[in-house]
Amino acid sequence: MSRGAGQELAGPRWREPAPVRDPHPDQNPDSDTAEPGPEERIAARRRRIAARLDAQRRQALGENEEPKEEAVEVEEERSSHNQVEESRQKLAKLLFEGTRMVTDIQVAVDLRETQRRAEQAELKLQRVEKLENEARSSADKFEEITSKWALAKEMTIPQELWQLLNQQQQLCTQLLEEKNKLIGELQQELKNKDEQYVQTIKKQSDDIHLLLERMEEQIRMMLKTYRRNIHQIEKAFELERRELLDNNRKKWEEAIQALNTKELEYLHDRVRKVEEYEKQLNQLRVQDEEEYNSMKIHLESDVQNLERQLQHMKAVYLVNQEKLEYNLQVLKKRDEENTIIRSQQKRKLNRLHSLLSNLRTKLVKQEKQFREENQSLAADCERITGQCKEVQRRMRHFAASDAEKFTKVWLMNEEEAKGLMRRALDADRIIHTQQLGLPWEEPHYWFPNNVGPFRHYKAKRMATKLAAEVLTEGTSGAQEKKEKEEVGSGEGQKENTAKSGDTVTPLQNISKKTAKKILELVSDESGFLIERKLLRPLRALGKHECTLLRLDSIFSALEIDSEDDLYQLMDFFLKYKAKEGALSQSQGSPGGEDITDLGEERADGESSAQSDELKSSQGPLGSLPSVYIHADNVLKILKAFVQDFHKLREEDNSAEEVLQVWDSSKDGEYWEALTHVIPESTLKLWDALAVALEEYYNILTRRANLIAESAVLQQQNSELSLMLEQFITSGANSMELLSPPVQQMDLNLPCPGEPR
Amino acid sequence: MQQVAGDGGRAVPSLRASQSRLVAEPYCVHRIIEDPEWCLIAVPPLTELCLQHIVQNFTNNPVLDRLPPKDQRKVLARLPTGLPLAVTANLISDEGYWKRCCTERWQVCDISNHGGSWKRMFLERHLENVLKCFVPNTTDPNQVLELIPLCRDYVRKLEVDQFLPPVKEDEKEETDNLSDSGSDLGFGEVCIHHYDLGALVPALPLLEELHLTYGMKDCGMNFEWNLFNFTYQDCCNLAAAVKMCHNLKVFKLTRSNVDDDRTRLLVRSLLDHPSLVELDLSHNLIGDKGAQAVSKLINHSKLEILCLCNNRICDEGAQALAQALAKNCTLTSLNLRLNHVEDKGGEAMGCALLTNTALKSLHLGGNRLAEPTAVLFSQVLAQNSSLTCINFSCNPIGPDGGKQLLKGLRCNQTMTEFDLRLAEVGEESEYLISQMLWANRDAARLQPVLQQPAEPRS
Repeated sequence: MSRGAGQELAGPRWREPAPVRDPHPDQNPDSDTAEPGPEERIAARRRRIAARLDAQRRQALGENEEPKEEAVEVEEERSSHNQVEESRQKLAKLLFEGTRMVTDIQVAVDLRETQRRAEQAELKLQRVEKLENEARSSADKFEEITSKWALAKEMTIPQELWQLLNQQQQLCTQLLEEKNKLIGELQQELKNKDEQYVQTIKKQSDDIHLLLERMEEQIRMMLKTYRRNIHQIEKAFELERRELLDNNRKKWEEAIQALNTKELEYLHDRVRKVEEYEKQLNQLRVQDEEEYNSMKIHLESDVQNLERQLQHMKAVYLVNQEKLEYNLQVLKKRDEENTIIRSQQKRKLNRLHSLLSNLRTKLVKQEKQFREENQSLAADCERITGQCKEVQRRMRHFAASDAEKFTKVWLMNEEEAKGLMRRALDADRIIHTQQLGLPWEEPHYWFPNNVGPFRHYKAKRMATKLAAEVLTEGTSGAQEKKEKEEVGSGEGQKENTAKSGDTVTPLQNISKKTAKKILELVSDESGFLIERKLLRPLRALGKHECTLLRLDSIFSALEIDSEDDLYQLMDFFLKYKAKEGALSQSQGSPGGEDITDLGEERADGESSAQSDELKSSQGPLGSLPSVYIHADNVLKILKAFVQDFHKLREEDNSAEEVLQVWDSSKDGEYWEALTHVIPESTLKLWDALAVALEEYYNILTRRANLIAESAVLQQQNSELSLMLEQFITSGANSMELLSPPVQQMDLNLPCPGEPR
Repeated sequence: MQQVAGDGGRAVPSLRASQSRLVAEPYCVHRIIEDPEWCLIAVPPLTELCLQHIVQNFTNNPVLDRLPPKDQRKVLARLPTGLPLAVTANLISDEGYWKRCCTERWQVCDISNHGGSWKRMFLERHLENVLKCFVPNTTDPNQVLELIPLCRDYVRKLEVDQFLPPVKEDEKEETDNLSDSGSDLGFGEVCIHHYDLGALVPALPLLEELHLTYGMKDCGMNFEWNLFNFTYQDCCNLAAAVKMCHNLKVFKLTRSNVDDDRTRLLVRSLLDHPSLVELDLSHNLIGDKGAQAVSKLINHSKLEILCLCNNRICDEGAQALAQALAKNCTLTSLNLRLNHVEDKGGEAMGCALLTNTALKSLHLGGNRLAEPTAVLFSQVLAQNSSLTCINFSCNPIGPDGGKQLLKGLRCNQTMTEFDLRLAEVGEESEYLISQMLWANRDAARLQPVLQQPAEPRS
């Protein structure tokens, strides 16, 4: 309905402007007659008819839908809403079309107005043009006339002047006529306009009437349609309601009928049940009565029995009373006795209490005493331990001083021995070169180089050196071996060479490849231990040097200094692998042995050789798994190693200290060796030489004697010759002898000097 | 006032009737004896008589507040409608009484135009009547001023569609009858000004709507151009009055020959008006300069509705309006019906609407817009989502333009009204456009339903 009201409101709004426009003829936009009214009206009527038909159809549809509505409640609800919605749409359309129809007039008038204005503007332009043209032409004509006036002044002949004047007059009248004509035209136009205006006003009033008519019609129609729609909607709702009511009533009746039938049934049931129950009740009553009677008889007999028993009990009671009285008296007496006993006990208790207190005090005293004793003992103990430490310190000091003294004595002796040895050797050399004329070669021994007392530990190679070796070993294994032997020999004792050989061998046993791999792995994986600065120059170097340098820094970081540490590291790797292997493959004895060995090794520290030997037996075993050490495990192993390593080192240190204690077993050997500088064969040689030289000496002495004799003889001889000469010269024998003695003697003289 | 007098005259017979009844009473006593059906009910009680007396002498002694409510009602029901306003205006607030006054005085009473209050309606229409009949220099200005204290608390709307010019000598009127247009201008100079609202309007603090038409109604054959002359002085007075009226929301000045200069004067006084929402300057003579002034006003006020229909705005004015519109965000409705905007102005409008998001309704009917505007507006339709109503009726848009508009409308969801009647767009386009509009309208109707769907069902 609100829309209807709106329409009614809309009506006057459109109605308003129309009459007001009347007094403005020039501004009035509605100046033509009403446009195709009939056509529009027909169209509108058609539309209305269509709408009406639509509504009817819908109504019919609504009626058709009724059975459906009955079927489903939700559908019903929707159908009524549908009805409302449809009506709304229809009415909206109707309203829209109605307003459109009404506004059509305005729009048409607007169009006409715009057209009119356009025409007007055109006409105005034409008129202005026309006026201008006319003005121009008239001005021309006027000028012509005025120019002729000048000519007239020159005229002297009156006839001509008259003629000219006539002409001028004609021209003037012509001009005036033209002007008048124009004025007439304009006035005609004005009149036309007036007529047009009147027509326009008429048209406008027609329009307004049409508008009013349409609006009224519209209002009427809208009212009608609204009313019809309301009726329809109401009808739809009514139908729905009625159906709902019918349905509900039907349901209600059904329900009531069902209720009635059920109630009847219940009633029947009830009646039946009442009868049954009555029967049962009667039965029960009879039964109960019987039971009651029997019970009564029974109970009565019971009562009699009980009365009899009561009397009996009364008799018993009397007897008991007497007994109890007697008992009471007895108990009273006992009570008295008890009181006496109690007092006695109390006294005893007091005594015991005092005893107890005494004992307690004693206990306290003793405790104090013991505590004091304990304290004094603890002090004693402290003192004694202090003393012990002192003694130990002193002992260590003495040991050190002893060692020093020992070394000094040793050195002194050694010097002496070495001097002796040197002398012996010199003698040997002289003997050989001078006496025997043989080439002499200085025998090579390990001990002459030794200075100071011989220690059991060997000078340890640096770990990095070893690593370098190990790494190069891969390339030149054999050479390395020799070197190692040399190194071993350089260290001194033969046993030691063997040992040092052993210490190297584990590495060999571990197999150089494995060792090399382990080291490479370590160098690759623990790059983080390398100092930053080092990294850059490292790149410039070759691979081998690079790994070496890396290892160096890694070892410094891990505090691996000595060879042993490195071996331990290797062992650790292998152990780890072996453990893993043991775990994974569950190897029996070898693995277990290994572990136990390792335990020993830890205990011994120094005696790695032993375990290494054992390990060497497992060489192939150890070398195999090591190849498969995974790069990821390296760090874990290193970590475990670093943790264990410190423990190991501590143990090592303690062990070293213990081993400072002298091992004199080899000293004997040393000195023994010193005595045996000259070998047995040489000694024999010397003995033989001595014998030979003795003989030679004897011969020489004999010769010397013979020489002396020969000298004496020579002297005799010379004296004799002298005497002979003197004799000859003296002329005693001026006559010559057949054979002169001088010749003979010259021949014999050089002979004694020959053996020299 | 004549009608008031007429009402007074009409009130007389009823008075007489009551008097006659009073006179007849003594006879009644006598008659009672004879009448067997007489009973006490027929005797009027004393209170009734008192009330009657109060009603009769209400003008001299208005007693209403001191009466009990039941009696008040009785008195109000019986009070004659012709009582002077000075007595009733501030005393009686009962709607029933004022309804009687209104219905007796006017045939058509639409209470909805006056905020649903009969008293307001009576006072407003009374004041309007006084103003309509006011003839400067002859009518006493006190006639208006006297009313101010009576109706200042009620008048919210003034709708004056007639301002009488001062009375002139009869000779001139005779000559006017003979010659129409030529001499009119000459008389225009002489013509003195209309009633000055400057005294009245500022004295009405509640005034919200002011509808004015400087012109005469029903002049018939006494037509004269200068009857409709809205002089410059009038304009100055009106501008000053409107400026003083701070609560004014709606200002309509129609059919008053307002030209560019007067528009500018008015606009200057309306700049930055605190409450003006609607401005209607339709059916005037506003040209481009006036439109430029109004366009300046658009962005210097809270204007929401602007009607400039049936003026002489050409493309320049439309361009100025469009420029203002592009920056504006308050104006929701613009009416430029029956102007000479043409394609240049239409294109400017279209460009402005590409950026504007406030305008909802635009009327460009009868502006000789052709296809170029339609091309631009198809773009506007596709982009702008605030416009709901466009009117292009009576423009020679042509079938191609119609197709363009149809293309634009395909992308639009908000347009609900798009008037293309007599725009030569072709039946097919028109039909398709109307289909789309129906779809949009349904969507627009469903939207608020969707927003609060639970309300109507439950």
